[in-house]
Order: sequence, then structure tokens, then C-alpha cells
Amino acid sequence: MKQRALSAIAVATTLVLAGCGSAADPGSESEGSADKLVVWDWKSGDEAAASYIEQAKDDFAEKHPDVEVEFVAQPFDQYYNLLGTAIQSGEGPDVMMFNGGGQIRDRVDALVPLDDYVADDRDRLAGWEAFGQDGHVYAAPVTLQGHPIYYDKTLYEQAGLDPEAPATTWDEFLADCDTIADETGATCFAQGNKEGYGIQFWLSGLGSGVLTDTEYEDWIAGERDWTSPNVKRIFESWQEAGTSGRFNDGANSTAMFNDMFAVFESGESAHVIGLMSDVGHWKDFAEFLGAENVGVMQAPVVNPESTPSLPYDGGIGYGVAEWTEDPALAADLVRSLTSTDALTAFYDDAGAIAADTTIDTSTAGPAVADLVSWLPSGRPALHVALSSETLELMGRLSQQLLSGSVTVDDALGQLAESDQAG
Amino acid sequence: MPIGSPPSSVRASALGRIEGREGAPARRAAPRSRRGRASRRPRADRLAPYVLMAPAVLIIAGLRLYPLALGVNFSFTGDGDRNGQAVGLDNYAALFDDPLFRQALQNVGLLVLLLPIAVAIPGLLATFIYLRVPGHRIYRSVYFFPAVLSPVIVGAIFNLLLAYDGTANTVLGLVGLGPVDWLGDPDTAMVTVVGVHVWATFGMALVVFLAGFATLDAALVDAARIDGASLPQVVRHVIVPGLSRTIQFVFVTTMIGLLTSMFGLLYVMTSGGPEGSTYLPEYYIWVQQGQMNRPALASAASTVLFGIMLVVGLLQIAVLRRAGRED
Repeated sequence: MKQRALSAIAVATTLVLAGCGSAADPGSESEGSADKLVVWDWKSGDEAAASYIEQAKDDFAEKHPDVEVEFVAQPFDQYYNLLGTAIQSGEGPDVMMFNGGGQIRDRVDALVPLDDYVADDRDRLAGWEAFGQDGHVYAAPVTLQGHPIYYDKTLYEQAGLDPEAPATTWDEFLADCDTIADETGATCFAQGNKEGYGIQFWLSGLGSGVLTDTEYEDWIAGERDWTSPNVKRIFESWQEAGTSGRFNDGANSTAMFNDMFAVFESGESAHVIGLMSDVGHWKDFAEFLGAENVGVMQAPVVNPESTPSLPYDGGIGYGVAEWTEDPALAADLVRSLTSTDALTAFYDDAGAIAADTTIDTSTAGPAVADLVSWLPSGRPALHVALSSETLELMGRLSQQLLSGSVTVDDALGQLAESDQAG
Repeated sequence: MPIGSPPSSVRASALGRIEGREGAPARRAAPRSRRGRASRRPRADRLAPYVLMAPAVLIIAGLRLYPLALGVNFSFTGDGDRNGQAVGLDNYAALFDDPLFRQALQNVGLLVLLLPIAVAIPGLLATFIYLRVPGHRIYRSVYFFPAVLSPVIVGAIFNLLLAYDGTANTVLGLVGLGPVDWLGDPDTAMVTVVGVHVWATFGMALVVFLAGFATLDAALVDAARIDGASLPQVVRHVIVPGLSRTIQFVFVTTMIGLLTSMFGLLYVMTSGGPEGSTYLPEYYIWVQQGQMNRPALASAASTVLFGIMLVVGLLQIAVLRRAGRED
């Protein structure tokens, strides 16, 4: 009997370990030493990033010819699981890539503050806020990630609207949407909220036209008033848009990557709140619609006291692990990875809006020209300031708002509780 | 697909162990009769059993029990600011306070409720093949085919079929039925995913049923038919009693499959959504560890899942032993 119980334990243990132990990576060889640096990211394996990595390596080799650099490209969907394991064991790569916002803020304990090392780059690069915590910066930005509202100029023309002058107020915007729906059958927004990301884009994409400047600053600074009528307005507009057919059907079962973008690219929706870099952005849309037909607009004004601005942050960046032997050397590699030459290569090949403000982007079409011209007045995106737990909850609540199983007040109450706990 | 796939080998070895044990009493008797001579045997002979046992014992103790103990121990420490500190049962309190984890446990309950259907489908189809419905040879291979597909491929195929503007809704539209948001409606999503899982895996159970039918006495079925029994009566009074052992076995293996192999499908088809309605404990563990950076909470959830699996495992062994004794 005892043996049976033991073997039952063994069987069950195996099942559980198979379930939770899978994040462990047999990557013990990836620890660096004094003459070798190991970098973890999910980009260096991409063909589009090859020239970027090459440039960065060359730049670093000039400064430190004796130091070998090894890039380990991890799969993105497992990246933070693998990194979590490395952080738990206190050993792993010397330099690692992060998404700006919650993903890096949750892990600053494992990182070296870079303030002293990157002081010379502070003006040249934009997007530092997303990699900072308590006045220190923990990674240098490589690309900028933002949530502009893209629109399909062809649909505007077909509906008899001026494609060069999109609406500036929310009421006009909805009226334009109705005209487009009547004339072309296209819905107002392409929406994909299967993973609960849609609400994040909605909050950041439209928030600057609803919140007052003070509210916006307080929100980013962490003093978020979830009971404010303006915050409520954003979530109400989400629910209204869902229930009044301004989203494509089945928004809760449409994946954002890449079904939602496909809806926009195929001309079935007039607008989409997309990204600035990597995917779901001007370059992807231009392939289907033509660069000249991709427009980008500022958030329509709901509240006259608001100032619409481009919501953007540092998208991805490189940080230095707390356990590395020589932080100055690793920080030098981070500087090479954010050098102007390297970032220019990234912009050219991958279609990312690079963090370097000195790169020439004048040939990439009207949408990019607009985006780049809005960068100086841009502000951090609202959802990036939230913790991953609050974002996860907001995703679930946003699906409930669309299905009508929760009220806006109830949802905001739960979000306030989660936000204060985190 | 790290979390979903291992069980097949685990299952095989577990069954091997169980079956091995059924024959054990007979073999155990032999060494006892030689015990008197043991002291005269050379030392190497006496040590041999321990040496031969050592690899298995070390593997179980070092790679299974020890990490399990570490994991349970880790679940009593904190996350984030309280990293490394002992926090008692805080993680477990947080776990049962989390509506998402309660939903995950509820879904485990739903899986248990759906188990009879998941067993009945391959059982019925195997019966039809056994009764030689026209084309039964083709059906046998067609039914087995999905079992060789990976959950990711199955998930991707059904994502297309079950999308709001996908094939399933188009077909429903043709016959005048309204579209169903298969994966976007919290009331249907879990049942949909379980349905796809059953579709993808029932081929294995079907083969087990067919093997069971091979041992069924065909004369009984013929006799029942000559006595004028209808098909339902044949199934109810001849086939089901004759296959009781097979049915129990399929119940056990299907249960394991439902509890351990759903991750891949959930990951691809719903990501736990909509509204958190398709969370299962293993998916919850993955999200807490990887996405939320709360490994200690994830350990606590793993420990709870381990407890559930332990109970299920012991029940399975009890059922299999009873089934073995009936022969």
C-alpha cells in the first residue's frame, strides 16, 4: 500500500513538475565572464534585426576588442518565464532586453541603475520614462512604442470625407464613423480584445483627449483617481462603442495580433489604434493599403480641457543584470546597442520608430512624418503606468464590459482596488 | 509546448508500474524460499539489488521528490518586496481569494462533469465500428487521425473554424441559425475548448475500446441478436458489462488527459479568456509565474494542483486495482 501511495506521489509529482518546472532553461552556459558578455533578447534572431545587431557588435568591438559578445535569442512568449528563472537563481545573462513599463518595473531588483553610465545619451534618446523607477533608469531605450490612431484614407474618400482633415472632436468623429458605415459598410474601429489588450490601446490611444493635463500627469505619477468622471468617460466610451456596433463583430474572440490588424488592412474598418514599432504599425499597414493611404490622427477631443498628444514610451530597451561582473563593461555594450548607427539600421530594416531622435525619417510616408513631428509633445501612455496585475484585470473587465456582465462603476471599483494594492 | 505534452510518457510509465505490480506477488515468492542461503552468497550478489535499484531511487528522490519539496517550501515565501521571507499561508490565502483561481478550480469540476461524455463518444463510435457499420475500416483510421496532431495545430485550425466570421458560423448562417461567438462568450468558451480537446484525443480511447472489443465474446452479441435484442439493448446488456474494465481504464486515462493536456489548446485558442472563463490551474500557474512575476504564488498554486492530482492518482489506482481483481 505504501509503495502504491509512493508511486502515486511519483506519478502526480511528475505531472506537476511537468507543469510548473518547464520554465527552467538548460542555459547554464549563458553566464558571462570578464571577457565575455551574454545578451538575452527576443530580437537578435530576427532577420530584420540582423544588421542592427551587426552594427552594435562592431561599435562595441571597437571599444573593447578583447571582449566576446554572445546574443541568445529567446522565444518571446517564454521570455519572461526564462528570465524569471534566471533572476530566481541569481545568475544568467549580463545584458537583457525588456519591454518598457510593468515588465521592467517588476524586476528592477535584478538590475543595475544605469544613470551614471548613460548620462551622455540622455538627450539623444527618447523614451527613458518607461525604463525608470524611483528616479533611476534601468535600461536604455532602443525603440519607441506608441499607440496612435491610424485611419484608412481610401474609406474616408469613398464616404465623401476629407482624408487630410480627420475629425478633431469625439462627436464629429462618431458622425464621420456613421457616414463611413453608411457609405462603405466598414465599422468604426477594428477591435481585437481576445487577450484583453484592446482596452489598453483604447485607454492610451484616446485618454489624452479625455483627461485634463493635471489628471494625465497625476495618472503617470501614480496618483490615479479611478472615480474621476473623465476616467469613467473613457470606459463608458469603450462600452458604448462595443454595444453600438462600432467594433467589428466578435471583438472578444478576435486576437489583436494579428486578426485585428488584418481587419483594418482589409478595409473592413476605418480606424485602428495600433502601434508605432515592430508590428501592427505604419509599415505593416502600408503594405496592404499603400503608404499614402495610411493616415494617423491625434485623439479626438471629448473634454475641451484636455490636450491631445501622442501616447508613447520606450518600447524595448536593454538593461544590465545586477549579478554581472563588470557593470561598466556591460553598460558600454548597452550604449553600443543604442548607438545612432545601430538604431538607424534598426529603423531602416525593421520599420521601428527608433529611440534616437537624430535619425532621418523623411522618406517613410506621411504617417511617419506626422508621428515623428508629434514626438516632442508626446506623453507616456496611460496603460504603461499600470502594474501587470491591474492590466490583466482590466483585460478581463473590458471583456465583461463588452458582454454587459459588469457595469462601468463596478469595473472601476475593482480596478481602483487592484491599482492601490499594487 | 512544455506544459501540455509530457503526460503521454508519464502515463505510459505509470501504467507500466501499475501493471508490473499486478504480477508482482507471484515473483516475490521466489526469493523468499532462497533466503536461507543468502548469507552464503558472495557480497556482490547481496549488493546487486541495491545497486540496480539505485538509479531509479536516485532519479525519483533527486529529480522528483526533492524539487517537489523545494517547490512546496517556496510556496511559503513571499513575492516581490517580500522575496525570500517566510509568509506562512499568505500565498494560499491570496490564492483562494483570487476569483481567477476559484474559476480555474470550478473549471476542473466542469471537466469532471464532462468526463462521461468524453468517454461515451469514443465508446459509441468504437461500438459502431465493432458492429461493422458500412465503411467501418475507413472510419477507424479517420477517427484516429487527429490524435497525431499537436494541440497547437489543432488549436490554430479550430481558431479559424470557430472565429466569429469563421466557417462554423457561416454554416450555421446557411441553415438560418444566428452566429455563436464560440470562443468569445464566457458561457460557451470552456465547453468549446473541451469539445475540441475531445475531438483531438478520442482516437486514442477509441483504439483502447477496439482492443477491449477484441476480447469480447462475439457469441454473446450474436445470441442477443437472435433473441431479438435491439441495438440499445445489445449495448446496454451485453457490450457495456463485457467492457467494464476497458471503460474504467478509459475513464482514468481520459481524466488524466483532460487535467494535464489542455494547456496547449487554451494557450492557442482562448489565452484563459474571455473574462477568465477558461482558466485551468496549470494555465493560472504559468500566468502567475511568467507574466505576473509571482513565482511563490505560482508555487502555491502548483502545490494545490499537486494535491488534486494526488487524490485523482490514488483514486485511479484504486479503480484500476478493483478492475484487475474482477478478472
